[in-house]
Amino acid sequence: MSERKRVQPRQLHAAPSPAGLVLDAQLHLLDRQMLDVDGVPVTTVDDIELSGPEPNEEIPEGTAPPQITALLTGPVLGTRIFGGRPPSSRLIRIPWKVVAGVDTVVTLGVRADSMDASWVERWLRNHVIARIPGGSHEP
Amino acid sequence: MNLSDMLGSDVLDGAGERLGEVSDVRFALDAGAGQLLSPARLVGIVVSPRTASSFLGYERQEISQPWPVAQLLRWRHRGSFLVLWEDIAVMGSEGVRLRSGFTAYDARLTR
Repeated sequence: MSERKRVQPRQLHAAPSPAGLVLDAQLHLLDRQMLDVDGVPVTTVDDIELSGPEPNEEIPEGTAPPQITALLTGPVLGTRIFGGRPPSSRLIRIPWKVVAGVDTVVTLGVRADSMDASWVERWLRNHVIARIPGGSHEP
Repeated sequence: MNLSDMLGSDVLDGAGERLGEVSDVRFALDAGAGQLLSPARLVGIVVSPRTASSFLGYERQEISQPWPVAQLLRWRHRGSFLVLWEDIAVMGSEGVRLRSGFTAYDARLTR
């Protein structure tokens, strides 16, 4: 049981408060719905890709902090239930530079049709829904 | 590197003693928001000594309702602290190791 032993820092200092928006990954980003510029649901945030140091390697002092490069989405339901995570190649990247806002939803500054994340919906629309009589126009 | 590699992994201090688990990762946007958001840099990690589960928003200072839930989650996450990026020596799927003499900060969010 020695590996479960915990040590506690003796003293907590007041945290520095950054001037801009502060985002906690679990609280503000992960599992949030993403809407495109027209308010159309795109997908949800399943993971976050970071720039910067290689994992499990020593970080030299003075290294610039990593930045969020992309929000990732993909088939994570099975791995959440049974453990592990899908290979990176199965995850679809939504670059951070197209994110327009983070609120109760994550708003993107582009249209869903331009993104890989919505290809399943586009394929179903074009190949299945459009073939149903009356399915190719709005009601 | 993906964030899910790090969330929930063990946090060790410079001497290899276990401090807890990565409960959350904090980012900050330095430039004001224009039409699109500016880059989000990593500020630090929130270390929880007992659980890597989410705070469910109760890390915000002003949230105290419903009272039993707030009390339960605060109790479950008691002893949590924030460690800044400057004090992280190694991070990845094998866990996070801090530099010796790291500084622990209050993890609560003020807004």
